[in-house]
Amino acid sequence: MNETSGNRHKGSRFPDVNVLDFITRYFIQSLLIVVAVALSLLNPYFRTATNLQNILLQASFSGIGAAGMTLLIVSGAFDLSVAGLLGLCGVILAKLIPDIGITPAIATSLVIGFALGSLNGLVVTKLRIPAFIATLGMMNIYVALAFIWSGGEVIPVSEVTFQFLGTGTLLGVLPVPFVIMILTYLLCQGILSRTLFGRYLRAIGSNEIAGRTAGLPVDIIRIIAFAIVGSCTALAGTFLTAELSSANAIMASGYELTVIAVVVIGGTSLKGGKGTLFGSFAGALFFAVINNALNIFGVGAYWQYVVTGLFLISALGVQALRSSILTVE
Amino acid sequence: MSDHEKELGREAVPKLEALAHFIQVFESLGVLVLLVALVVVASIIAPGFSTYTNIANTIIMASITAATGLGMTFAIAVGGFDLSVGSVQALTAIVVASLLAVASVPLAIVGALLTGLLLGLFNGVIISKLKIPAFVVTFGMMSIVRGVALLATQGQSVMITNHPDFATLNNGKILAIPVPFIIVLMVLAALYLILHHTPFGRHTCAIGGNRAAAIASGINVDRVTIAVFGLVGVTAAISGVMLSSQLMIVDGTLGTGLELQAIAISVLGGTSLSGGNGNLVGTVLAALLLATIASALNILKVAAFYQYLFVGVLLIFALSIDTVRRIIVEKSTLSRA
Repeated sequence: MNETSGNRHKGSRFPDVNVLDFITRYFIQSLLIVVAVALSLLNPYFRTATNLQNILLQASFSGIGAAGMTLLIVSGAFDLSVAGLLGLCGVILAKLIPDIGITPAIATSLVIGFALGSLNGLVVTKLRIPAFIATLGMMNIYVALAFIWSGGEVIPVSEVTFQFLGTGTLLGVLPVPFVIMILTYLLCQGILSRTLFGRYLRAIGSNEIAGRTAGLPVDIIRIIAFAIVGSCTALAGTFLTAELSSANAIMASGYELTVIAVVVIGGTSLKGGKGTLFGSFAGALFFAVINNALNIFGVGAYWQYVVTGLFLISALGVQALRSSILTVE
Repeated sequence: MSDHEKELGREAVPKLEALAHFIQVFESLGVLVLLVALVVVASIIAPGFSTYTNIANTIIMASITAATGLGMTFAIAVGGFDLSVGSVQALTAIVVASLLAVASVPLAIVGALLTGLLLGLFNGVIISKLKIPAFVVTFGMMSIVRGVALLATQGQSVMITNHPDFATLNNGKILAIPVPFIIVLMVLAALYLILHHTPFGRHTCAIGGNRAAAIASGINVDRVTIAVFGLVGVTAAISGVMLSSQLMIVDGTLGTGLELQAIAISVLGGTSLSGGNGNLVGTVLAALLLATIASALNILKVAAFYQYLFVGVLLIFALSIDTVRRIIVEKSTLSRA
């Protein structure tokens, strides 16, 4: 990931290339700081503790999903079914809590997330359908199942202990989901950079045929990556259900777009092979800050569609320009 | 791509060739056979299906999807996709409804088609000039255009009141054939001619079949790609106009999931995801098939959720068949070597 682009410029005769490299490499982190500082100066409400906590909370829903998605994109695939999967896991969770208790219900929903993620992986690798169209179809199926399971209703959850997972804070400062988000990123970073599996992910993402030739079990690696996305999505679904104290089939509509936009704006290449979890982490915070600002300045929720799409396309444009500059050098 | 390869494979592997041939026949005839069988079954188990009104409604429903599906077939042939068609349909429906308040019917329709064309061209420019994969560009555009559609209407509905004649575009009949279906047949004829009898159509297939070879042989890949996406935008706009004349009241949430249906009918109709070819007639037949299923499920009072489930399963099924075909083509190519 980052090491490769760093090494490229070692011994370069032009020291300013390193500055350019630093800014492009930590682009989203720098942008996040600039935007956050500017907003704090401009708007007194923005810098209140409550609002900042709210931003961290909002960031953790897309952030947790984006952690798994980063690994999957590094392996050279996508999952567009996450919105449906999150709704389905949320509905199942909300339905199960009164019957079997909080912990078993959460465990069940995580297992279902893992299983359905693996199913996505199976459809993509074994039926050999391009990932984005296969998962688009799977999304329809998951949304439909969530609708059927919930009867089209909103399923309320009244357990106060469970609600704490979404609305509570640790040490009185950090929202619980944000703490979980940090742990998720540490875990995924560990997987990506410290394990053999992580190296395999990068290998098949940068050159699948070479990976296959070298004897890597490409399909199994990718199925596991899909399963990780499924688990992360179910985890995000758990906290979203807790925060809303309810679940319904379309509680996360548009989630796939936000999550992929977060990963891409964080600097992970859609071509696969390399990715940065630190970037995705900052990307999630960035989108939460932007959406928060849109709310504070009273711009309607509809603008969020426009802004998210614009950021996705411009981030890709910047990536494309950057890679063409690097190729010319 | 495949015809030549299949011919070469014929001598070496008769068995695979037979399978490939079977699938080819399945593609062109299969959807038709399936459609006829389904209509017969539906008429028997769902009384009320075979009435003229219901059949006309089913055909109208199919026409609205088919118009976009025809454009999508082109996009798949060139080796891309357009996920923004649902949002474009919504926005163009709003454009036509808003323009009807101040302008004549033809002018409003032209305005909507131009909007679709511009959005499609924009997709094409970003895809080809920035070299970003089509599906992410159109995925982003799906969100942007949806946002614009919602912003333009402030989440409210727009009613078409002063042009009641606009509805005849939907419920009018010529020789008992619904007008939307006649429009689709005209679009089909035009696109068929373009795809099979013009240099532009040949270039489209060449790019989808082998991009590198197309570039090497001097085809202006960017220009063709931009034009194809412009065309997809226009077909989505045609669907938007049809939908607004059907509903006579439109809002920014229309058309969600249209991209999925359009891709499903293209693939089901026999257009391979590997690009390089398009089966336009199959697309229209598959649209009729999908509408027949939906109509039968409606009459049988199956909840909308299950219909949603069904589209997903059908898409995965169609794509699996496509995979089998791709594998066969690959194998016959390999065994020739």
